[in-house]
This record gives sequence, C-alpha cells and structure tokens, in this order.
Amino acid sequence: MFFRDKKPAPAEINTGWESVDPDSIPSVPTGVTSETDGTAIIRINHLSKVFKNKTKTVIAVNDVSFEVQHGEIFGLLGSNGAGKSTLIRILTTLLSPTSGQAFVDNYDVAKDPEKIREIIGVCAQNYTSDVELTAYDNLEFYGKLENVPDSILPDRIWELLKMAGLEDRANMPVRTFSGGMKRKLEIVRAFIHRPLILFLDEPTIGLDPEARREVWQQILMLNAEHTTIILTTHYMDEAEKLCGRIAFVERGRLIALDTLENLRKLIPAGDLIEIGVDHMDPVAEEAIRKIDFVNAVSVVEHTVTISATNGSRVIPAILAVFEDYSIPIISISIRSPSLEDIFIYLTGKGLDSGEGHETQGSGRRFP
Amino acid sequence: MRGAVAIFKRDFKKFLSNPFMIMMTLFMPIMYLVIFGNAMGGTISHIPVGVVQEVPPYNDTALFTSASYQLNHISQTNAEKLLDVTIYADEAAAKQDLINGKISAVIVIPSSVSNDNAIRLYVDSADSITPPLVEAAAKQDLINGKISAVIVIPSSVSNDNAIRLYVDSADSITPPLVEAAVTRVLLGLGAHNPVLVDKIYGDIKYLQFFGVGVIMMAIFTSTMFGGGIALIKDRENGIHEGYLVTPVKRSSIIFGIISSGTLRAFIAGFAIFWIDLLITGIALQSFQDFFLVVLVILIACVGVTSLVVSFASRFSSQAEYSSVIAFFNLILFMTSGAFYPVIGMPGWLRWITVINPEYYGVHALRSIILKNQGLNVIGIDLIALLIFSTAMIILGIVTYRRTLE
Repeated sequence: MFFRDKKPAPAEINTGWESVDPDSIPSVPTGVTSETDGTAIIRINHLSKVFKNKTKTVIAVNDVSFEVQHGEIFGLLGSNGAGKSTLIRILTTLLSPTSGQAFVDNYDVAKDPEKIREIIGVCAQNYTSDVELTAYDNLEFYGKLENVPDSILPDRIWELLKMAGLEDRANMPVRTFSGGMKRKLEIVRAFIHRPLILFLDEPTIGLDPEARREVWQQILMLNAEHTTIILTTHYMDEAEKLCGRIAFVERGRLIALDTLENLRKLIPAGDLIEIGVDHMDPVAEEAIRKIDFVNAVSVVEHTVTISATNGSRVIPAILAVFEDYSIPIISISIRSPSLEDIFIYLTGKGLDSGEGHETQGSGRRFP
Repeated sequence: MRGAVAIFKRDFKKFLSNPFMIMMTLFMPIMYLVIFGNAMGGTISHIPVGVVQEVPPYNDTALFTSASYQLNHISQTNAEKLLDVTIYADEAAAKQDLINGKISAVIVIPSSVSNDNAIRLYVDSADSITPPLVEAAAKQDLINGKISAVIVIPSSVSNDNAIRLYVDSADSITPPLVEAAVTRVLLGLGAHNPVLVDKIYGDIKYLQFFGVGVIMMAIFTSTMFGGGIALIKDRENGIHEGYLVTPVKRSSIIFGIISSGTLRAFIAGFAIFWIDLLITGIALQSFQDFFLVVLVILIACVGVTSLVVSFASRFSSQAEYSSVIAFFNLILFMTSGAFYPVIGMPGWLRWITVINPEYYGVHALRSIILKNQGLNVIGIDLIALLIFSTAMIILGIVTYRRTLE
C-alpha cells in the first residue's frame, strides 16, 4: 500500500511501512491535480504572533484565519518578512501563538504539540542538515527521530538519496555539497516518514531551473499520494505551477486567498501591455488613460504598464499617443496578467522587494 | 529512547571524525600534569641561609661552629642538602642580605644555650613554603646541638623510648607540618625522645598527589569541547530547527547529549589515568582498585557532563557558554583539592567543595589510587556524585527549550 488511505488515524502513521516498488510511483502529473475531499486538515482562527524586545514590537502574524484542506497543495505567498515563516513555525510547533488558535489535524498547536510533530514533515527555510555528517547519516538520524522502523530505514534512505540524485554522495559529509544538493537533501528528509502534512518553507530557494523542476515533480508526486502540502514561496511561477489555492500574506495579514483562477478575477479583466521608454511624460500618461478600454496606467522607472480590455485592439491608439508626444518606444509586449501582477495589484509592491524597499507607497497602483 | 540513541550516535560520530578534538581533550590535562605538577611539587633544596654568632663573645663558640656545620649538612630524605649556609660576622649585614633576597633566613645563635638565650630566626616570609622547612631543620639541628651541650635530662624521658609518629602521607603537604608540630611540642616539654615517622602510605610526592586531581581535570576539559557544546552549535547554526519538529522528546535530547559527552569525558579521564600512573610511577594494589577507579571516573563523568549540559540547554552562543564553562572549570578545579589539601582552605571556601562534584571525584580517586581504600570510604563520594548528576540532568531537561522562543 504505497498510496495511503485518505486520512489515516495518527496511530497508523508509524505502521504499515513497506518497501517501495518503483513501478508503483505514478507518472508525474501535469498541472495541478490536487484532490481534496473537502475536509479541513488545518484550521487557523484569528491567529496572531507578536515579537517583543526592549526597543520595538513586531507583529509578525496579524489576526489571520484560514483553512487548509486535506490533500491540497496550499501556497503561502508574500515578500520577505511578510510573516510566512512565522506562520509555518507556529503550525509546526516551533513557536507558540500570541493569540488565536491553530489546529493541525484537529490537534491544537498550543495543547498537543507532540501529536502534531508525529504527523508533520518540515523542510525549513534554512539548512538544517548537520554538515559534519554524511548525507546517509543525516537521513538515518532523522529516520530514527521520526520513528521509521529500522527494518525498512536503510531501503527508505537509499530510495530518498536516489530521488535527490545523491546516491554517489551518500557517504560524503554534507559540508562538501553544493547549495542545490543540500537543499534537495533537506527536502527528501522532510518526508522520510511519509508525513500526513508536509510543510515546505521556500523549498526551491537557490536552486537552478532544472533542480527546481525536479523538486516540483517530487512535490506533485507526494501530493498524488494524498499528502497535504503547505508551501511558502516568493516565486510566482512555482505557485502557479503547484498550488491549488494561494494565500497572499503581507505585513502579517492575509490579504487574499483563493484559487489562481479566482484570484485572476480580482484585477480588472484584460491584458497587460508593457512599454519600455527612456522617460515618460505625465501628460501623455493622462492621454493614454483617456483611450477607450484602457483600465489603468502605471509608470515604474522605465516601464509603462497599461491594463486594457482586449489589449491588441487598443495598441494602435496607444502607439499614436506616444507618436504625438514624441516619446521613443524601446520595447513593447502584451500578455495576460500573472500571479505577480495580482500580487502587485493587491499590495502595491513586488514580491522580491523586501520590507522598506517598496517601489511606491503601499496601496493599489492600478486604478 | 530511540531518539536518545540517535542523538548520541550523531554526537559521537562527529567526535570520532575530528581527531584534533580528541588530541586537544587529552593534551591540556597532560600539560598540566607534566608542567604544573613538576613546577609545584619539586623538593626544595639548597635554601640559602645566613648564620650569625650573637655578640658578645667575639670569637666563635663551639655551639656556633657545630650548629653551622650541621645546618650546612642537613638534608631531607632522598634529596639534596636542604640549606646552603653562609657565615656572617655581622648580624646587621646578614639581615640586609635577607631583605635583599640574597638569603632566605638568618639564624642568630646565642653564646650559650640556656632557657634565657633564645635562638632567633629571621625568615623571608614572602614565600610560605620555605620558612617552615628552614624552621624545622634549624630546630632539629639545634636540638641535637643542645643535647650535646646540656646534660640534665628528666629521668622519665630517655632516648630509648622513641616517640612514634604515624602520618597520613597520601597528601605530601601535611605530614611535614605534623612532624614539625610534634617536634616543637617535645622541645617545649624538654623531651628529647627521637621521633620515628611512619608514613603509612609511603612517600607520596606532590606530583603523585596532584596527578590524581588531573584525572578530574581531564574530565572537565573534555566537557569544554564536548558535552553541551553540540546543543549550542546546533542552535547557532539553526540545525535544531530540523529536529525540534520531530517527535523526539526533550529528555531524549538531553540524555543523548549527556551519554555522548560522558563517553567522551570517560575516554579522556581513563587515558589520563593511565598516563598519570605512567608519569608518577604509582602502581595500583589490586584489580578491585582498578574497577573502582573505572566506576568513579564513569560516575564523575556523568556528574560533570550533566552539569555542563544543564548550562548548555539554555545558552545560545558558544562564546557565552565557553566563558561560563571556563569560569566553572577554574572554580571547581581550584576547590576540588587537586592542587592543595581542602583542609588548607578557609571555611567559606570549603563550602564550595560541598557542592563541587570534582571534590568528590578527586577524593574518591585519591582514596583508591593512593590509599588502596574501598567502597566503605568512597561510597559517600559516589552517592554525592549521583545526587549531583540527577539534579543536573533534571535541570537540563526542565530548562531545555523545545521551541524556538
């Protein structure tokens, strides 16, 4: 029984281990295939976390409520310092909430942390492997801590090493590994015990594109085994590729939560036209805004972004304005809005910008 | 339990993969033993002293001549001659040399020996060990000189009835003091019986006395590199975040770290034990002694390791932890009785020894290695060490943070 039953009781987690027949691993699904049965596996009610020291008080998580459903891949998106990791740390029992409640598989994080630790797997944002030990020793250490039976542990370790492409490095100290290799080891380690819920905090940070795709495949494969996955990331493509539902977190607050499709509906319908210029004339900007079907115009440094219904139709009119005001166009592109555009629309800043480096004042930059 | 084994294995694997740490763990105690032991414990000889004839008379008396001759030839058992005698004609000049540090003492001998004419002894008291030696030597010599000069002896005291003195020689510092005291009392009473000293544990040199203490030191030193530091390194590098989210119990973490630290400390203590026997030339009396030594070292390792781990369970930086441990190492080692008998400490300091695991360790090891004693003597030490260890293990578990806060 490689595929776990829909929702095993916690007691079953430690039993029912079998060595894995590689043929039973399903082919990698394309796109998001999460099958949820509609039951909430994580429930968060008005959760807040406040860090205090002598000089200042930081509200890392501010009155957040949501549910994660069993079997889904849930994305937590936000810029650096938005509170994603704090949220994950509360759910994985590393931090206690200041107020509010959080339940993981019906266990209260404040009351039953031991029970929760038995059913979760966590890949932290920073490296947590012991660099003085070999890859094999690291996995063995965690296998034992996670109560993987000794009889199947060696097979499981080799299976994971193979998955991470680290078979030939098994007996080398992790110190000698590249960043990508360390990261892959961290990820496979997180599910050595086939957890009910897997938390991945920025799993693909610092990985090259190929390695990222491998990790995505692994995540989709695990999800196909009905593992619920909570993923934090600030890569939009990652969330678009993997996540069934996405929560935007900004300054500790939940600002949006929905499927990608529904999130797209949040911003004015239409396409985005991006025009590269040397400089932009405010009068011209105003003129563009007056064109029919143009919903919004914004200028960030050398890029003019125009949101328009049926973009290809309005391009000639826009180009005419640039002609009239003698503004040379360096580049022009037209595309449908991405998750990042939704994020920028909602928060007024890009995902890669850390706190205090906002491109403009916070707030909506589109209409 | 499985978690504790995993934590233990991880820590011990890291220790074995780092030969430098193994070397350092042993190197420091050996250096202490060889350099400190020899610097402190050497037999002092050739102490420069001045002898002056009190005036008048202006010519040397027979007492002066024989006293200075004998002072110049006195020596301690198996050692070089004790005093280098310089004869001064002028008391003032001799005292000036004493002040200048050229000589360590001035002995002024009166013209005749009687109760009225005291023998005056000026010593350089800046160094606390030399004066008693000089005094004892001078007195003994002068008693001999006196006997040869004074004939009247109380009838009940005779040379045939030797006073026998049994001293506990396991500590090399106290016996001479006891002997000097007895001699002085005898002199005061006017009894001239020879004193036969029986050192019941043989001649124990300072190096041998100190060597046993170094075993305890090796144990503590190894805990500076091992023991709790693994917990702090994990915390500094964020590695603990990885295992705090697993079901491992906090008692398992503490037990795992303590057992690994204990094994590391035991390796160091046991190695130093052999090196100590080799350097100081002590031979154990029986196999029972050997097993007791192993038992004491093991229990002392548990005690000291639990102490440092209980600290490590709270600290988050290696620098803080190391400075605290270095401080404790100093306090505990100094008050353990390894350097100097605990009996020589002032009362307030002796209170520290009551809660010092190293004191019990040193006492037990010394009782076995130097005195061939058994459980009846060291039992109390073992009980004290076990109580201490239990308290520290509980403290370690209770203070260990299972979260990141």
